[in-house]
Amino acid sequence: MATLTLYIQYIVNGLTLGAIYSLIALGYTMVYGILKFINFAHGDILMVGAFIGLIVYEALLGTSTSPVWMMAAFFIAMIVSMVLSALLGMFIERVAYKPLRNANRLAPLLSAIGVSFILSNGAAWIFGTQSRRFPYPFDNTPITFGGISITPHQILMLVVSVVMMVLLAFFVNKTRMGKAMRATSLDQPTSALMGINVNRVISLTFAIGSALAAVGGILAAFDFRVYPSMGTMTGLKAFVAAVIGGIGSIPGAMIGGILLGILEAVGAPLLHIPNGLKDTVAFAVLIIVLLLRPEGILGKNEREKV
Amino acid sequence: MRKAAMVLLVALFAVAGVFAGGAKEGSGDVYKIGFIGPLTGDNANYGIRCSNAARLAIDEINADGGINGKQLTLIAENSEGTVEKALSSYEKLAYTDEVCAIIGPVFTGPALAVAQRCQEDGIVMISPSATHKDVTAQPIANSDGLNYVFRTVPSDALQSEVAAHYFYEVLGYRKLASLYAMNDYSQGLANGMAETFTALGGQIVASETCMVGDKDFRTQLTQIKAANPEAIYIPNYTVEDAQILEQAAQLGITAPFLSSDGFSDPEIYNLAPDFTDGVVYVGPAQAEASTILSDFQAAYAAAYNGDAPDSFATNSYDATYIIAAAIERAGSADTKAVRDEVAATKDFLGANGTINFAANGDLVASQGVYDVEGTTPVYVGSFQVVDNHIVQVD
Repeated sequence: MATLTLYIQYIVNGLTLGAIYSLIALGYTMVYGILKFINFAHGDILMVGAFIGLIVYEALLGTSTSPVWMMAAFFIAMIVSMVLSALLGMFIERVAYKPLRNANRLAPLLSAIGVSFILSNGAAWIFGTQSRRFPYPFDNTPITFGGISITPHQILMLVVSVVMMVLLAFFVNKTRMGKAMRATSLDQPTSALMGINVNRVISLTFAIGSALAAVGGILAAFDFRVYPSMGTMTGLKAFVAAVIGGIGSIPGAMIGGILLGILEAVGAPLLHIPNGLKDTVAFAVLIIVLLLRPEGILGKNEREKV
Repeated sequence: MRKAAMVLLVALFAVAGVFAGGAKEGSGDVYKIGFIGPLTGDNANYGIRCSNAARLAIDEINADGGINGKQLTLIAENSEGTVEKALSSYEKLAYTDEVCAIIGPVFTGPALAVAQRCQEDGIVMISPSATHKDVTAQPIANSDGLNYVFRTVPSDALQSEVAAHYFYEVLGYRKLASLYAMNDYSQGLANGMAETFTALGGQIVASETCMVGDKDFRTQLTQIKAANPEAIYIPNYTVEDAQILEQAAQLGITAPFLSSDGFSDPEIYNLAPDFTDGVVYVGPAQAEASTILSDFQAAYAAAYNGDAPDSFATNSYDATYIIAAAIERAGSADTKAVRDEVAATKDFLGANGTINFAANGDLVASQGVYDVEGTTPVYVGSFQVVDNHIVQVD
């Protein structure tokens, strides 16, 4: 296999992994943009989303093997999971974060870590700790051209991620509610004075972020399997992607995710070091990026408000 | 000054108490046996099956009237597969519960750490599944100079040697690749196999690593594909192997896969049922036709909702019976007396066949080779390496 083909294959693999990171990073970045707070339970919402998706999908599928119904069941399961995860995200915000909105900055952070443990341990208690397979709703035979393989699942990941990101960009930039969201992110008290219902905007932010995490969780589940701690590492990486892209910036989260995915896939072979160290390479590059641009690639260098 | 003296005195009494406790007979009407293994987490399937098998053995013995009129009880501690948790589990079992022997730890990393402590404190440890060659090579640090560490699973040294010979001599491979996780178990097997395989004249064309818990192996597999090996050796646990098999198929890799006893866990057929066909793995040799194994499997399935025990669980079942027999012969829970009787085990007839221990506590065994057809492992036979050549034993 020629070196070029080899690297194109790495990039294809990295791109699809990165698309998932991007989807999840969006949730971190949106919440941070509005509340200046890292929602560490986000990765676990991804896990809950994957479990809901799997349960609904298996229930809908029953014994049917019709390919059309399998795809339909999959998309229905995804939508149900998005709705329920959105409700879960709103509920968590209401009980665990909202009462702490004016408290010490560390308080909601600790509350988020607590929620994260409750969700992952709760899932372990209800579902057990073993990994479950999320069966493909379609034939996942890879498509090969010029020695490069891409699976229908990878294509689905890319397509769904891009569609979700385009929809989100449209919503934030072109709708009234999106405008309210941007205003709240810019200056919360003034937005409230202008008649924006800040609480509703915050709820909506959590709903959208959680729904995107559910999609990310389901798409990743085919590859990663479904298990209670699946959100921990994926969530951490998506968080890093959000910081690299510039936390608070929506396009930044997309770029950060893709960058991290590609770094993971290409970094180790490019430097000729063992693949066991691929995370080390990816994170070392990320430190360098942060040293050069502490605010992240697309982050705004805003002064701390006191 | 007087206060300091008091503290010293109290400390002295406490230490004396611990020493006295060490030699004390098992309290009450029970003999306590400890278990250390992962009961939660990604690889909990191994620990749960092993502890289930030990509990089954103990229930059978108790239903039969116990040992010397006393009941046995199993105290299972969760190591979560980590060294730190395994050591705190050990401390609880050894110092608080004062067990007379320990089954486990299940994984190699924790087993290496606990083996060291067992040798120091003089408590029998029998691992059903920790296969790293160094588990039975920990320094014997107790005052009597006796070995306290045993296992009912063959050492990796044996497994990787038979594997390399089988791949080279029987399957005729000359160019292999390997993809293994950076843990003691997988690394030990991959390195051991590579050493023997290259000594025979074969070549390892790609030796790729991953981290435990990795979910994406595409970069490694792409590199392996480029190196064009005749077959790929993946001596990992099922969670990693399932992912590797599936992603290899997605990348269009057609070279066959070879694996190790980690593959004997039936969980692999739930996780990657479409990709296990054609995998050849070296694992435990199958027992001579005996009803003990089939009885055990039936009893296990009946006790645990139709679940099938893996080979490690079978080893755990045998280890429990070996300990029970040792306690019976020793007539007490004294840890040294129990050790002497475990070491004296001779031709013990267990579910895995006849069990004998070498002087260092290793199991004396041949290795089994399995060829997976669809999702069913088909037994090829038992093999041993004699005079640098592989020999089929049965």
